[in-house]
Amino acid sequence: MTGVVGHAQTGVSPGDETALRRLLPAAHHFALVEDDTRHFRAYAAPEAGRPLRVVGLAFFTTDLTPRIYAYKGRITTLVALDTGGRVLGVDVVHHYEPFGYFSIDLPGFPRQFAGKSVLEPFDVGRDIDAVSRATITVEAATRAIRQGARRLAREFAAAQALP
Amino acid sequence: MTYTFRLRRGLSYGLLAIFFWLWTSVGVVSAMTQPAEGEPPPPLSLDDLAALDALLEEDAQGTAPILDESAMLDLAALGVVLVFAVFSFLRKDDRLKVISLVLSVVYLGFVKASLVSVVDVFGAIRWSLPALQDGQAYYLLILFTLVSTVVWGRLYCGRICAFGALTQLMDRVVPARFRIEPPWWLDRRLVYAKYVVLVAAVLYFLVTDDTLVYRYIEPFWMFTLNGNIVMWTLLAILLLATVFVRNLYCRYLCSDGAGLGLLSNLTMFRIKRWNECQTCKLCEKVCEWGAIDGPNISVSECVRCDDCERLYADEDKCPHWLIQKRVAMRPTGR
Repeated sequence: MTGVVGHAQTGVSPGDETALRRLLPAAHHFALVEDDTRHFRAYAAPEAGRPLRVVGLAFFTTDLTPRIYAYKGRITTLVALDTGGRVLGVDVVHHYEPFGYFSIDLPGFPRQFAGKSVLEPFDVGRDIDAVSRATITVEAATRAIRQGARRLAREFAAAQALP
Repeated sequence: MTYTFRLRRGLSYGLLAIFFWLWTSVGVVSAMTQPAEGEPPPPLSLDDLAALDALLEEDAQGTAPILDESAMLDLAALGVVLVFAVFSFLRKDDRLKVISLVLSVVYLGFVKASLVSVVDVFGAIRWSLPALQDGQAYYLLILFTLVSTVVWGRLYCGRICAFGALTQLMDRVVPARFRIEPPWWLDRRLVYAKYVVLVAAVLYFLVTDDTLVYRYIEPFWMFTLNGNIVMWTLLAILLLATVFVRNLYCRYLCSDGAGLGLLSNLTMFRIKRWNECQTCKLCEKVCEWGAIDGPNISVSECVRCDDCERLYADEDKCPHWLIQKRVAMRPTGR
């Protein structure tokens, strides 16, 4: 893995750090991984004589699924996963959606994702609530979270399998 | 005595043992399902990874059908509303028009809250459009609006827009004695206000990147029933004012009407006029939209409501036909 650096220079901006801290409060520190699945890794406190342990992953949907447009552009969502491919939390950071204020901005929208495995459908109307009159917004936000989470979980599993 | 004592003690020990066993086993089970803080979750198994690969393939190829059942239903329902609107327009039938207006208010308004909005202008500026798989009905509505405006004029404003349809229906219910017609000189100036609103909204968007401004310059959010106290108050004022000045919002304030008004200058099939229209004022008086000025119809104000067209097709009212009849009845003998 390229880009994983030591504790001192993690490449995480203070703004991102604050947002990450909200979703992964138990992490000791974060590092930015700049490859084609740009994401963050959350680490446990370093223990002497043992390699750093990853306790969580996080990504911005705008990094992993930049081509998913909602009603008015991309929805910037921060998604945190555990190392077993389960969503730990979702935070809708920024969007231009006109009907966002009564759909994805409500706390109930991100809350539905917590605890879901990437193997679950993440399908609006099935396991994610549809918000009538804001369909395009909710569909696109959900699709971005689903596709990004699956990609990152897969990449991480592959990276773990490598020595 | 000692026998019962022993029995009781034995029973209580037994119960204690059962409780202890239950307590520990439940504790173990819950510890198994909920890993303790700091314990890493089990990594994805090989079977999980195979399943995940299949899902990723699905995501990449978009095997989820673009036209699923609900999308087909949306398209079909919107199609019915649009086809009926065009049908009522081509038939020039007032009763069909009322049905078309009701369909728009109920379906495009309260069911779907799907109206062309200034946000669509913002989206066009940023070239930021929704994925086709989420919004086929949205694209159909936008396409219909643009095409019908070029072909016939602001048909969207006059029939499809749920808010415009709502105020037109209001106008049919509210007694005519409440009505105040703005004087001509004022009306001619006020019609430009909507262009000012459009330009101001676009400038504001370019500077601030804030799309939410739509809530304060358009009442269309009302069909979502999600508003704050300021929005509801502004809406109440607007609807109250509409009781007195009919179609107030559409005529003077709607930024989308302004945009479509600009586009309507390309209109292909315009309302035909007779020679007699040079002097006759009948249609001008009938026009709810203040679009007729003597012989001229202002395309950008006209929403193709059919009122004047119905009138001048009426052989008992339109001077064109009355004069023809008189010519035909004139004695031909010298």
